[in-house]
Amino acid sequence: MTNLNAIDPAAVAEEAKIENNDVVIAKSTIILRRFLRNKTAVTGLVIFLLLTVLSLVGGAFSSWDKETIDPFNIGVGPSSEHLLGTSQAGIDLYALTVEGTRVSILIGVVVGLVSVLIAAVYGCTMAYFGGKVDKVMLFILEALIMMPALLVVAVATSGGGNGLKQNLPSWLLLIIVLLIFNWMGTARLIRSLSMSLMQRDFVKSAQYMGVPARRIVWRHLVPNIGSLLVLDITRGVTGAILAEVAFSFIGIGIKVPDVSLGVLIGQATSQVSTFPWMFWVPLTVMFLLTGSLAMMNDGLRDAFDPSSSSIGSAKKKKKTT
Amino acid sequence: MLRYLAKRAVTYAFMIFLTTSAGYFLAVTSLQPALLEQEKIPRPTPEQIANSFRLKGLDPALSPWERYVEWLTGIVTRWDWGRSPNGAFINAEFGDRVWISTRLFLASIILTLIIGVALGVYTAARQYKFSDRAITSYSYLVYIVPAPIAYFLVQLGAININETVGERIFFVTGISTPGLDGGGWAQFVDMLAHYAVPTFAITIVGWGAYQIAQRQYLLDNVNADFVRTARAKGLTRNQAITRHALRVSFIPVAQSIAFTIPAIFAGGFFAEKIFAWHGVGSWSIDAIALQDVNAATATLAYGSVIFAIGAILADFATTLVDPRVRVQ
Repeated sequence: MTNLNAIDPAAVAEEAKIENNDVVIAKSTIILRRFLRNKTAVTGLVIFLLLTVLSLVGGAFSSWDKETIDPFNIGVGPSSEHLLGTSQAGIDLYALTVEGTRVSILIGVVVGLVSVLIAAVYGCTMAYFGGKVDKVMLFILEALIMMPALLVVAVATSGGGNGLKQNLPSWLLLIIVLLIFNWMGTARLIRSLSMSLMQRDFVKSAQYMGVPARRIVWRHLVPNIGSLLVLDITRGVTGAILAEVAFSFIGIGIKVPDVSLGVLIGQATSQVSTFPWMFWVPLTVMFLLTGSLAMMNDGLRDAFDPSSSSIGSAKKKKKTT
Repeated sequence: MLRYLAKRAVTYAFMIFLTTSAGYFLAVTSLQPALLEQEKIPRPTPEQIANSFRLKGLDPALSPWERYVEWLTGIVTRWDWGRSPNGAFINAEFGDRVWISTRLFLASIILTLIIGVALGVYTAARQYKFSDRAITSYSYLVYIVPAPIAYFLVQLGAININETVGERIFFVTGISTPGLDGGGWAQFVDMLAHYAVPTFAITIVGWGAYQIAQRQYLLDNVNADFVRTARAKGLTRNQAITRHALRVSFIPVAQSIAFTIPAIFAGGFFAEKIFAWHGVGSWSIDAIALQDVNAATATLAYGSVIFAIGAILADFATTLVDPRVRVQ
């Protein structure tokens, strides 16, 4: 029996020839070119990368760390000794901000990536199997949407004296809780998109050829909703960073002694008029973080959306010699 | 239609039951009011604590399952949601809190919707003109600001206005001045001074999402064939948009409206906390801080009920706006 699935070397060579001929541009190249053409998006990417790098190695530029108290400079404004001033407890604000930025970015990236992954797997599974499986999974999904996330965050991070809470740092706990409650909306969207894909001929033919379910989902469904997934990752990162700031701001979520941008902003609100730098510095960093992500998001959408007309065509203009 | 709605309602009732039960177990296993009691002065003996909790139906000696059964029987037979560790009855407290939240959010929700949808239509009709760019950038800006921080900034602004004028025009916290006497007019002015800042803050943060959504959906439809047909028949651009494109593009927005109202209601924790209106949201946070199992579960149940109502309303609104949808 001949294997119909076998790759025909002649066809591969043909395709390679077409691609090298500059008639067909690879999809990734198109996306990259379109993304790079959008100046705002590139600026956003650069700002985000700079902040990430700063949060990772920034501690090395200052002799202070987030635990050392400087008893001679308590609650002073920015000076040559303390780049961004000190808190009312005498801790260097620069060190605190670097630490807080790192925690915020960590929460954002982990929650953004993993929740989209969960959503993709869950949504595709629902769409692929349909019927009873779909119904049960949809029911679980809606029940989870119903649970007010904030209450659960508050219960989970409040000091109830459980062993689990003492063993885990509060940022990890917040990541877990945010993960549990972040993926449902995306999963619903992916389900409806994949369901329409399931009707397409290429999925049907794959099924008749006996390709296993996992393979169909991974090779046929996921690439077709790839652009949506990428967008949802940046959106999820923004959402997670904002959620962390919001939760920590009102005193649930990250707990002292762990530092995050939300904790810094929240602590500073009561003394905005006396220690203004304690409030505005972490707030500015947060704006840079979420703002850069929003700028990237816009560029990514334009790059992935084949019908977008906002930034010219993908093909390089021929030089007029 | 009625049969469909009834079927949905039954499904959601079951779901509410499940989430509330799950919430109860989560609360009952992780919240321990007895620990807080020990911080009282003079410090009560463990026997005293256990005794007072038993009288309020919060006996910590029982297993979670026994407490759950007791709590559920109370609700099913007497509609009694139990008591707080300090002895207050949940049922009585609940009514007050819901009323306060409603007053805080009702005006803001209506304003948010009207302004958001209107601006969305306005900007879509003037795509890429200056006014469109300005308004849409504002909406994206709001999107990257966490709500509590935006509220806080508005509050700061109001305090600054008060200071520059040298008179207390706006009250940035609270619902009304306690012990205020005077006629109806004085009461009215007092009410306005208290409502202005929170309503303004919630509204300016809220309408961004609707503006972006409405603009997006309308733009998707502006170049559709049926709008072009309408134009070809001799309608002006504005007529074609308002009569043909708007109605179709409003459907997804109507869906999202029905889903956001519960989110605003149940998620009003931040606004209530910052403006010190003691509604349902801040109650739920306080309940957890005070290790109050019954109150926390009651707010969770309230959130689920509101969500279910919103979801059913969303279905209903879709059939109302969209002539193509037939429900059976």
